[in-house]
Amino acid sequence: MSSKKWLLMFACSVLIIVFAIAGFNFITDPFGVFGDRFFNWYSYNFTQNPRVAKIAYLDRHHEKYDSYLIGSSSTSSLSVERLNKYMNASFYNMFMYGADIYDVEQTVKYIVKNFTVKNIVLNIGPINAEKYNKESHPLTDNLHAKTDGSSLARFYVKYLFANPNYGLAKIRSFYRDGYLPQVFDVFDVPTGAYDKSARDIERIQDLEDYKENYPVFSNYPRFNYEFAHIDDFIGSVREIKLLCDENDINLTVIFFPLYYGHYKAFNPERLEEIYSKLAGITDFWDFSVHPLCTDPRFFYDATHFRNALGDMALARIFGDETVYVPEDFGHYVTPVNVLKQVEKYQAGHVFDDSGYTIKVPVLLYHHLDETAGGSLVISKERFEAQIRALAEAGYTGVSLQQLVDYVEKGRELPEKPVLITFDDGYASNYEIAYPILKKYNMKAAIFVIGSSVGKDRYKDTGYPIIPHFGYEEAREMIASGLIEIQSHTYDMHQSADYELNTARTAMSRLEGESEKAFMQAVRDDFTRSKKDIEEQTKSPVIALSYPLGRYSDLTEALLREMGVKITLSTEPGINTLIKGLPQCLRALKRIAAREDTSPETLIKMLGGP
Amino acid sequence: MPVATFSFLLFISATLLVYFTVPRRSQWIVLLVASYVFYASAGVKQLLFLVLTTIISFSAGFLLAGVKNKNKKKFILASALVLDFGLLVFLKYYNFAASGINALLAGTGFALPVFKLLLPLGISFYIFQSAGYVIDVYRGKYPPERNIARFALFVSFFPQIIQGPISRYDRLAPQLSASHEPDFDRLKYGIQLMLWGYLKKIIIADRAAVLVNTVFADYMNYPGSIAALAVLFYCIQIYCDFSGGIDIIRGIAQMMGIDMVENFRRPYFATSLADFWRRWHISLGGWMRDYLFFPLSLSRPFYRLGKRTRRLFPGKLGKIIPTSLASFIVFFVIGIWHGASFKYMAFGLYNGNIISFSIIAAPYFTAFLEKIRIDPQGLPWRIVQIISTNFIVFIGRYFTRGPSLMAALRMLKRTVFSFNMQALRDGTFRTLGLSGFDLFLIVAGCFIIFLVGFYQEAGVEVRKALERKNWLVQWALVMAALAVLVFFGIYREGYIASEFIYQQY
Repeated sequence: MSSKKWLLMFACSVLIIVFAIAGFNFITDPFGVFGDRFFNWYSYNFTQNPRVAKIAYLDRHHEKYDSYLIGSSSTSSLSVERLNKYMNASFYNMFMYGADIYDVEQTVKYIVKNFTVKNIVLNIGPINAEKYNKESHPLTDNLHAKTDGSSLARFYVKYLFANPNYGLAKIRSFYRDGYLPQVFDVFDVPTGAYDKSARDIERIQDLEDYKENYPVFSNYPRFNYEFAHIDDFIGSVREIKLLCDENDINLTVIFFPLYYGHYKAFNPERLEEIYSKLAGITDFWDFSVHPLCTDPRFFYDATHFRNALGDMALARIFGDETVYVPEDFGHYVTPVNVLKQVEKYQAGHVFDDSGYTIKVPVLLYHHLDETAGGSLVISKERFEAQIRALAEAGYTGVSLQQLVDYVEKGRELPEKPVLITFDDGYASNYEIAYPILKKYNMKAAIFVIGSSVGKDRYKDTGYPIIPHFGYEEAREMIASGLIEIQSHTYDMHQSADYELNTARTAMSRLEGESEKAFMQAVRDDFTRSKKDIEEQTKSPVIALSYPLGRYSDLTEALLREMGVKITLSTEPGINTLIKGLPQCLRALKRIAAREDTSPETLIKMLGGP
Repeated sequence: MPVATFSFLLFISATLLVYFTVPRRSQWIVLLVASYVFYASAGVKQLLFLVLTTIISFSAGFLLAGVKNKNKKKFILASALVLDFGLLVFLKYYNFAASGINALLAGTGFALPVFKLLLPLGISFYIFQSAGYVIDVYRGKYPPERNIARFALFVSFFPQIIQGPISRYDRLAPQLSASHEPDFDRLKYGIQLMLWGYLKKIIIADRAAVLVNTVFADYMNYPGSIAALAVLFYCIQIYCDFSGGIDIIRGIAQMMGIDMVENFRRPYFATSLADFWRRWHISLGGWMRDYLFFPLSLSRPFYRLGKRTRRLFPGKLGKIIPTSLASFIVFFVIGIWHGASFKYMAFGLYNGNIISFSIIAAPYFTAFLEKIRIDPQGLPWRIVQIISTNFIVFIGRYFTRGPSLMAALRMLKRTVFSFNMQALRDGTFRTLGLSGFDLFLIVAGCFIIFLVGFYQEAGVEVRKALERKNWLVQWALVMAALAVLVFFGIYREGYIASEFIYQQY
């Protein structure tokens, strides 16, 4: 080969490699800057760099939105759906993780200049005065060139020649993806918020358990806030305010709830300066300081408040009476009352959850008979003795709906509540238990298996089984006001002995079943169960007790989507319910009351650990 | 502008483009401008020293030509050397000396000031290069340069100014001034040499450096075996980094039609420490030979010393002692040329002692070998020599890389007394910053370098041999080299799995 040819070949090789890299990055588009035509996976792109990918997304989809929520990652806890309802608008959650107020200001400017904007909700906090326009990683947390006005050509070249490992990671993730959000795709694309379906289904009850699971809440304060960038912060907010005024945009400024571990470390003089200066520019809603902020259970981690707190904040702002809002939560700060508001930081809140939590034991029964037999069958005599003991000990039977009302609306429960539950829906519940419950005026919930309601033979195969009560009896019991009929699935509690094919004994994936097929099965099953019960009894299904007590993140997420407010497991223990925190109603713990449980032991067990 | 950056490649391409488009007569001006632009990009202040050295050496050469008187000539030479080396010594060694003196005089109230001095890029290289010129002119080896701009280019020629090779005026200057047509052969060879250099530097040296830095940063917490491993990796690192850098520099010059001297000739095939120094940093060794060793050996004191030793030790020994002493001095100077620190002095003494001792011992040793019937020219003995030379070099590296003399000695002590073989197998290895794939690349890279070196030692021209292969093989080689460079070099860093941010959700 002549040298001339060699040089030509070399040049071609260089070009091949250059085009290969650029092509690969263009196709995989891990940051979503080129429109992600091949994967169309914005949830992934947002996770890689929300600043860049969200702007790229909005450039194509901004007609769907007329209002924007903006701030750093805690902004994600303010519900777009609620804002849409309250303001009759169509919000997009334009939050960016780790965003400082410089990022926010640039982004607001871009949005206002390029899109139609009616409302802006600005979610900020005193901690925004700590850092300003900090150094950022050039690929994962820089602003879009369109937003900060830097060279577009350089911007695209940078992403065309980004490390191909990013694209490879996207391909690998693509094959690992499942229904629940994973570390690589944490966004809900249409709303722009974090998809918290995996995080909002964990059972949260005891403070100590929660702290153990999330050690991040211990040992505060860790750093001192000196607020070195007050003027930058105020300057940016002023810019945003002016821009909104000029363009006739309704601006709502919120100081978000902050875990109190942080504000213990605030420099008080500087804090006062922030408040006074901000109040001089705009009135704002302040949720950053409140006794509830001492309770880690209302926070995902030390810097992110829960959606539940976000819901309370929005309900407070828009006067939504249907949502529980604790006393004194949220203040509208104006130049007149600003100093009084700052003083609250000095109040030194002490953790005390006695006003908004309550212990609720849940009892679990199955079949009753004249005489005992097997671990799941209790004799009439023993059952009555137990119920009598409860009544004598001052326990009041409560309904599932009462628990929901306590949590959602803050409606108080009787002093010593107990929830009595029966799984499977045996005829004995109606024949034996119901009269006794009536006698002691105890409420209870019965969870029926849809396919066996009113039957004494196994479906399809016709084997004789313990008889189950029918809807006639169900309606009668509901009419008494004591009994609720809820779901124990339609047909996900099969018996392995009686099934011809593989039995689905619980709500869990069969061997070799795909996630998709399982999800479909769960959806179909519960829809059927709910439809049957609601049509037959005319009362809503709000709870499901898991067959065999088996549940998973996926079933929790699916049931929550389908409106199930309470799920029940068979894990032993006493539940702690928390006003305003729906996660406390997930997978409730239950105490199995059995033939060998004496009334005295039972009362002792209910006393809690 | 480090050589392993995109902007450096752009700079080279732009320079080449201009270089081959301007009238051939002004090509050297393009090089001069490029050299100064390149040098200024490292810091405008540093230009001062470059300009100063250029003026001192140029004027000395100019004056020497006009003077016939021997003493006056000597004076001019001495002044130029004192000024040139004075600059170097001051910048490089003053603070070291001053703090040493201050430590000695602590308590007396007397203290020399310590300055904040920045060592200008490549200063030892261009000062040695221009001092060599002055000495040659003094010796009448060639007439001095009449054009200061052309001389300035000789001093500042940009590819070489960072790390050599230290060129001779009579070899380099005519090439710089000549006009060069673009030549496909030269372009090709230049590119190939650069590719080879970049592969050595980016793929091997930069990787090995990770392990080396990890261990040396915390050397007391690693057992001797890991310390030894780190020194071994440092041997690999420094060879690949330095020789790779020189290959890049020579490749660039070659594309411009300029041949630069070879600086490395497979040093790890050396059969003695003296041989090693003839193969390692050749241009420095050559400079030392011509401008320090010979003048020393031929100087009056050495002549007198020789007379005396011959009288005291009749026979071979008496003749060898002065040579041995001169070698000792040369290697001591080479040691401290590396930097102002006790560890470099120790390094110099280490090399100087071994070499001067082996000069004296060599005849006796050869006689001994013959007595026990080992052929000193035979292959088995050569392999023994190569291994033992590498071992001696390896020990010396403790001093050049160790953070200080004490640290180097401590590490050596650990290597000898608490080697702990187990540490090589118990997983410590995996905590040193390199993945299994990184290690594979280093080992495979070293093997390829060894193979190429082996063939070259045997007299095979590897590049020519490859050229005779069919185009598909050649293309595959080029693609492989480029792909390795890009994917395992350029993209080695700059990827951060960003998942950790979201762990809480």
